[in-house]
Amino acid sequence: MSALSENILDKLSIDNIKTQVLKNAYGNDDTVIAGMDPRFLLAWYCFFGIVPWFLDNVALLLLLFVFVAVTTKLAKVAPLVLLLFCVGVFSQTGYLLLVALFFGGDASTVLPLLVMSLKVAVVSLASITVFSGLDPDKLASGLLWYGCPDQLSFSISFAYRILPILMEEFQNILLSYRMRGVAPEHKTFFGKIRYLGYQIKIIIQAFYPLMLNTAKRSRTTVEALELKGYRYAVQDKRVKRMKLQMLKAGKADYLFAGISVVWVLVSVCVSRIYF
Amino acid sequence: MNEKKKAAVTQSQKMMVFVLSMSLYGLATLFTELIPKFQVGVVEFSVEYFLFIPLTLSMLFDPISAALGAATGELVFSEIMLGQFGGLGELEKFLTVTIGVYLAGRMVKNPKNIKMVGLASITGVAVQQLMGCAVDILKVQLAVTDFESVAGLPESVFVTEGFACANDILFSGILFCMLPTMYLVPRLYGKIEPLLGMKPRNEFSVIGEAGVLSPKVVILSILGFGCAIGAELLAETGMSLIDWEADWAETPAAMAAGFALAALVALIAFGIIRRNAQLRMAEE
Amino acid sequence: MIRIEDLTFTYPGAARPTLNHVSLEVEDGDFLAVIGNNGCGKSTLCKTLNGLIPHFISGDMTGRVLIDGEDTAAMDVGSLAKKVGYVYQDFENQIVRPTVLDDASFACMNYAMADYEERGGRALDACGLSQKKHDYIWQLSGGQKHLLALAGMLALSPKLLILDEPIAQLDPGHAREIYEVLKNLNENHGITVIVIEHHTEFIASYCKHTVLMKNGEILWKLPAKEALRRVDELEESNIFPPQITVAAKRLKEAGVLSPETKLPTTVAEGEQVFGKLLLRGDYRAAVRPSVRGTKKNVEFSGITVKYRAVKGDSYPIFNDFSLDIHKGEKIALIGSNGAGKTTLMKLMMGLIRPEAGDVRLDGRETADIAPEELSNRISLVYQNPEEMFIKDTIRGDIEFAMKMRKVKDYRQRTDELLGMFHLEKLADRDGRLLSGGQMRRASLAVGIALNPSILLLDEPTANLDIATRKEIIKTLNALKDVTETVMIATHDMQLVCDWAERIIVLSAGRVIADGDRDAIFSDSHVLNQVGIRPPEIFYMGSRLLSQARCYTIEEFTDLFERKGAS
Repeated sequence: MSALSENILDKLSIDNIKTQVLKNAYGNDDTVIAGMDPRFLLAWYCFFGIVPWFLDNVALLLLLFVFVAVTTKLAKVAPLVLLLFCVGVFSQTGYLLLVALFFGGDASTVLPLLVMSLKVAVVSLASITVFSGLDPDKLASGLLWYGCPDQLSFSISFAYRILPILMEEFQNILLSYRMRGVAPEHKTFFGKIRYLGYQIKIIIQAFYPLMLNTAKRSRTTVEALELKGYRYAVQDKRVKRMKLQMLKAGKADYLFAGISVVWVLVSVCVSRIYF
Repeated sequence: MNEKKKAAVTQSQKMMVFVLSMSLYGLATLFTELIPKFQVGVVEFSVEYFLFIPLTLSMLFDPISAALGAATGELVFSEIMLGQFGGLGELEKFLTVTIGVYLAGRMVKNPKNIKMVGLASITGVAVQQLMGCAVDILKVQLAVTDFESVAGLPESVFVTEGFACANDILFSGILFCMLPTMYLVPRLYGKIEPLLGMKPRNEFSVIGEAGVLSPKVVILSILGFGCAIGAELLAETGMSLIDWEADWAETPAAMAAGFALAALVALIAFGIIRRNAQLRMAEE
Repeated sequence: MIRIEDLTFTYPGAARPTLNHVSLEVEDGDFLAVIGNNGCGKSTLCKTLNGLIPHFISGDMTGRVLIDGEDTAAMDVGSLAKKVGYVYQDFENQIVRPTVLDDASFACMNYAMADYEERGGRALDACGLSQKKHDYIWQLSGGQKHLLALAGMLALSPKLLILDEPIAQLDPGHAREIYEVLKNLNENHGITVIVIEHHTEFIASYCKHTVLMKNGEILWKLPAKEALRRVDELEESNIFPPQITVAAKRLKEAGVLSPETKLPTTVAEGEQVFGKLLLRGDYRAAVRPSVRGTKKNVEFSGITVKYRAVKGDSYPIFNDFSLDIHKGEKIALIGSNGAGKTTLMKLMMGLIRPEAGDVRLDGRETADIAPEELSNRISLVYQNPEEMFIKDTIRGDIEFAMKMRKVKDYRQRTDELLGMFHLEKLADRDGRLLSGGQMRRASLAVGIALNPSILLLDEPTANLDIATRKEIIKTLNALKDVTETVMIATHDMQLVCDWAERIIVLSAGRVIADGDRDAIFSDSHVLNQVGIRPPEIFYMGSRLLSQARCYTIEEFTDLFERKGAS
């Protein structure tokens, strides 16, 4: 409890989060995964993101889990993302497990929930590999190739552009509060709760200045988009074709696809034979 | 000429609201993803989301742009950037957030009317949460094999989901959506619009003559909700109906068949999407 | 190529037209400066040239704008954008893609030009960014970002480029770089350039023509040098002509220069004009008594701070850095972007913790002082005043810190501060919606609300037009007695000369010079290393007489023998 109420601003400091998110976005653009053709990876994701839901074999799921764990390692994902992954898996099935036991469940409850945790884990790691591991721009073009609306792929690139600016501004506004405000005393238990509440309140209030400042920016941005012909591009199919021309599959892509297929087949056989 | 001019203007304003809502809500979801949750018994205190941001924007500007911007922002910033993308299931959140925010934005005719702002924001949250809750219950029901036969599971799912929903509406909804929205809307009204080169919203602009809940809005919302359920179920369970009967599914052959079928379906779905995209391009 | 005929434009809801019966012609190959005080319609005029008005921004427009004989009202923004490039004052928001080459070629791609990457690459070459092609935007410095915004427009190979206050946010070194790029584009690529500018020294060195605007009307269009000689008219519009021109005018009025002398506008011209004059034999550079405190106020010892890099290892900003600041000092901290100025200030505030070493405030380690107590004694005013405002009124912002600390007569103190900074009438307005100068004053009021003994100001004169800058410098001079120790991080050499008593020059996390203004400005080695230029009048003076130290126009005119007196 006290660990939770340790303050958000210091431990999970904005600065820290900023570095982690930026690291995740830009810091791993030289990995094996980042260099791959996004079309292959998205297809790969469709398999590893959907198929595990249909499986009930613990051994097979475990083997798939090992595989996606390796790909996640290859993608050099930021620690923060991995932490979120762990918390996510726990909170999705861990708490269900507790509540089920509370309502008189027994060992028979545990197995389905373990299977479910594995399913969640495989699917999440597959998504981390693809979405965190891929360079945002490549991801955007990959999605475009599969027919996603242009607005989405633009939003992804734009988000990566605007994020450092927004974070910086948000951080400075929060620092203004910290410099000029007075935080409640937080040595006692209730003090800590109050302190947590105070910080959440500040984060909310900080959005008032942030909204106005961002509004100022977005006017220029939208005018510049118009000048740079963004609106024309959305209507022009030639532009889309040009954007997609840069997608090229190489040896590494076929190799990756081959390894994936072999691993899955071997896993299926192994799980059939030994379990 | 004149008509075209007007259309271009509203287009640019929509784009601005979209960009604004996307960046701000996206940033906020990055943080809510990280703020710790804590539980007292079964009651979970969490900062579920900072929905007040798109709610505020939807009440001040064009509701649909703000709503779509927020949903896109969440998708891009917290799901894709942090790698928390849950596949098709994210479509559910995308649609419910869009519907909730859009409805709330339409309800407010005069942003100076605080009571209405409060009512609209809590309604938006409730709509979003109830839809999410319904989908969640269906989801667990179908995802866990032998849902009914697992001791204690059905009750626990109904209780936890119901509780989570009520808890989210009453705790997060009031604290993090309604109150901040009521604080922000009157403060921003008349100030933020000129920064985007617009006139402040009044009773006649934005909503138009159709009234708050025109049949079109209601039908579209219900359709959207239907899509959300469909997407979520498809994502979570897919063809798991096949191994609905446990004995049958245990046999290796069936297992392999189900497995292959699933892969095949995925590939076909893929091919179709791809083909469509190509056709559309070829038409040009 | 450009013809504006009787153009009137009114923004929706505005009482008066922003442009009032404007007519103007600009020829191919011109390098035109548009000057005028704030709100005179300069930016609006430029937006009519690229079609944003009337196609994208609504309002009432009468009259015509012709580009190459075509009416902009009949063209769409897209086809106009290929002819007219526009770089905003807040250029940072104009960059919409995450990497450099991508942003430079974005427009070309959108307009479906097959060779978009080569075009983007060529534009980057022309702007001197070819080394940065594959960098991310956040890795660029402010000056490089501006060049990128320019390249993004240049890639479409427009015939006309418009830049809104291109150097307002840049240090002097980068400012010159931008103008050199523009000059090259203008002379060697035949591109017509229009700049909105109030740095008259740059107009004198680079522009061919100048347009003066006032209250939505064009007063005149003249060859640039001739325009700058109209000192009285310019000053009336709050434009400050080059110091050399003003000095020559004063000397003319005093009868030192003959009445028919053409006023010089650049140092080179100045040398010809002033070189003929007789220098005073008894000239002694005025010596400002050196003010050095003795009581240590803040001590940095053995500080190491590392920047957590996104990629690869973190690199140090400061490595074993030590510095003492004494009570009562008025310090200017100068150095190029990224030298560690802001980090140094944040260290004092305890906002950044050093990895090694400690910062002491009056002998106590800042790490042991509660943040509330620290901010009672030290106050930091950000470079961007918008980030200082957290409430919805100026009054709310000023009283916020006092209210939180339960200061008894905070209302009275707030009123005093409002009066001191001439903000009484704006007290209930939102800080963000004020003009640049008002925002700056309000942020200063917020900064000294708690009556701190140390005040830290980060770039207090950045982004201001020159008239407002002078006003802020005046305010800062008045503040000297209010706060004991003041430190200003700045690129503004005029501010440094007028105000600072001790100057610390930082370069790559090290103090490379520390002294008074005479010591710093006569050390050309230091100046070159960090790319700063003393005020033009100082430079002019030293060209005529190597030991001359003229920081103001008065000190400069004092160099010469008066005819009447001799």
